[in-house]
Amino acid sequence: MATDSHSTSPPILPRPQFETGFAGWMRLNLFSTWYNSALSVTAIVVLALTVWFGLGWVFLDADWSVISTLGGRIMIGQYNIEAACPGQNCFWRPQASLLLITVLLGMGWQVAGGGMAKQFALLVGGVAAAFAFLPYGLDTMGMDVRLLLVANLPALAVGWSIARYTPLGTASRIAMLFVSAFLLTMVLLRGIPGVPFLEPVSVIFWGGMMLNLLLAVAGISLSFPIGIGLALGRRSHLQVLKLLCIVFIETFRGVPLITLLFMSQVLVPLAFPENFPVNSLYRAAIVITLFSSAYMAENIRGGLQSLHPGQAEAARALGLPGWQTTLFISLPQAIRNVIPPIVGQFISLFKDTSLVYIIGMLDVVEISRAFIQGNPEFLANAKELFIFLALVFWIFTYSMSTVSRRVEQHLGVGER
Amino acid sequence: MVANEQNIEPDDIIVCRDVHKWFGDFHVLRGITTTIKRGEVVVVFGPSGSGKSTFIRAINRLEEHQRGDIIVDGTELTNDTRNIDAIRRDVGMVFQSFNLFPHLKIISNITLAPIKVRRLPVKQAETLAMELLERVGIPEQAEKYPAELSGGQQQRVAIARALAMQPKIMLFDEPTSALDPEMIKEVLDVMRELATSGMTMIVVTHEMGFAREVADRMMMFDEGVILEEATPENLFNNPQHERTKLFLSQIL
Repeated sequence: MATDSHSTSPPILPRPQFETGFAGWMRLNLFSTWYNSALSVTAIVVLALTVWFGLGWVFLDADWSVISTLGGRIMIGQYNIEAACPGQNCFWRPQASLLLITVLLGMGWQVAGGGMAKQFALLVGGVAAAFAFLPYGLDTMGMDVRLLLVANLPALAVGWSIARYTPLGTASRIAMLFVSAFLLTMVLLRGIPGVPFLEPVSVIFWGGMMLNLLLAVAGISLSFPIGIGLALGRRSHLQVLKLLCIVFIETFRGVPLITLLFMSQVLVPLAFPENFPVNSLYRAAIVITLFSSAYMAENIRGGLQSLHPGQAEAARALGLPGWQTTLFISLPQAIRNVIPPIVGQFISLFKDTSLVYIIGMLDVVEISRAFIQGNPEFLANAKELFIFLALVFWIFTYSMSTVSRRVEQHLGVGER
Repeated sequence: MVANEQNIEPDDIIVCRDVHKWFGDFHVLRGITTTIKRGEVVVVFGPSGSGKSTFIRAINRLEEHQRGDIIVDGTELTNDTRNIDAIRRDVGMVFQSFNLFPHLKIISNITLAPIKVRRLPVKQAETLAMELLERVGIPEQAEKYPAELSGGQQQRVAIARALAMQPKIMLFDEPTSALDPEMIKEVLDVMRELATSGMTMIVVTHEMGFAREVADRMMMFDEGVILEEATPENLFNNPQHERTKLFLSQIL
């Protein structure tokens, strides 16, 4: 049979109307079959009821005064009590650290040129400044505290200008400044004996969200490179190195963090020369870092294993020595592939910082719990307090997730 | 370390003497002895599992041979990593699966090794890379990522990447086996130009048309030995072994 020939090619049609737009989306995703429709209706009803009663509780029934009574202690623990900081107000020191962070965020905004960095910077600066306008009396929350909070907004501008008008405006320099800011924060909080306004404040008084954040930042920053080292060591051909790495990883993965923290009272000082004081904060930081680096090592090792062997072969065939192949070809690709579990580990670490209660430190959860215990008139309001804490944690961890998704998009994971 | 000089002439760029290799208990190379001269284009072919890929991968130590000697441009291939790295700098390799680095742009793929290994300044490396991209016909792709290129373009980038190290020898392991006919032509054109410019090439391939045009010598591998080697004319018109005749009848 002779082939049919068309005198013109068939017409190009627009997509049928009821398949496009919101109506189309609803039809396709929610109401495509009768059971889908039934499930959708049930889910919508349940969701609406939950939101209705939930919001009702939040705005009408709940008594949020417990949070304002706890006040600044949620943020800094006992940093400012009379025993910690005799005769003066030490609150300015954590506030100064926050200002340093805001300056860095402003710099990040300028370098990134907008987008998420800008939104994040404005969010942090804005929320901090908004706290200055809380409706308390001036004796509960003094003018100096409020001024230092409002100062976060000009701090953003200062950071932005520094990045714009000085040679400091590159990503790598900002990263180095971040490290310096962290060290400066430690000095600021710890104090220097003999210096006016910087009287030492013992670490046993450090607490609240500040404590969680310090431990998390140190833990995340250090466990990542240590984890990389362990992963590479475990894959090495040197049998002794390989064995040491396996022992380390399996030990720290096999013991619960809370047990390690508890044991750290005794074990960590053993690693240091006699009479060298290792205070509880450093002990906690070391243990949390080592614990997390064991998990990080396995995540990264998984990433390295998933690579096509041809990649390393091509690099070696070009004459790149082993360490350069690892550094420029294998590790970048491996880490790109395992960003989700790595960020998951970071999030886990951040939440695990609450476990330092076991060595007597008052992190944000423990200080809340101790407050309820010590003030039984607030016992009925414990749920408000803990829901608030959950929200605060969620804000931090969701920010980490969002940043990680953006990083993946930027690196083209899954596309190239 | 220079190998003993017996019977090696200055023009012998690759010398293999009684090379054996085992994968576990499987004896994949069973006594390969051959010499490749500077500027020669050798096409290696044969059935799967005959050891031809293993043979060329042994030349730049991607596979380790257990017995015999392989001497590349006067340097013997042993476990000494300095020798291995020195040989790899002068021997370029193109793979069947291209193996471009997906996280780097095309231009960075090409300039990475010259910058890190040969210590070329960045500007110079980039100029060299653009020249090579012109030579393989795709200078406009420099700022793209490998995933955005077609197979034929990727393989040509892989060839440019290998050439950026200015090697003395180029090894090709079935470079067109993963490509469709249009793309095969564009890659073979590049390889043809390379051959006529005087590069020493060992090519594992089934493209007999290419072999007939460009090869100085063809080697048939079968079950770990070089069954037959001859010029393309002699091999196609007058194959000696039954196995060769059978194989050729299937691919010609």
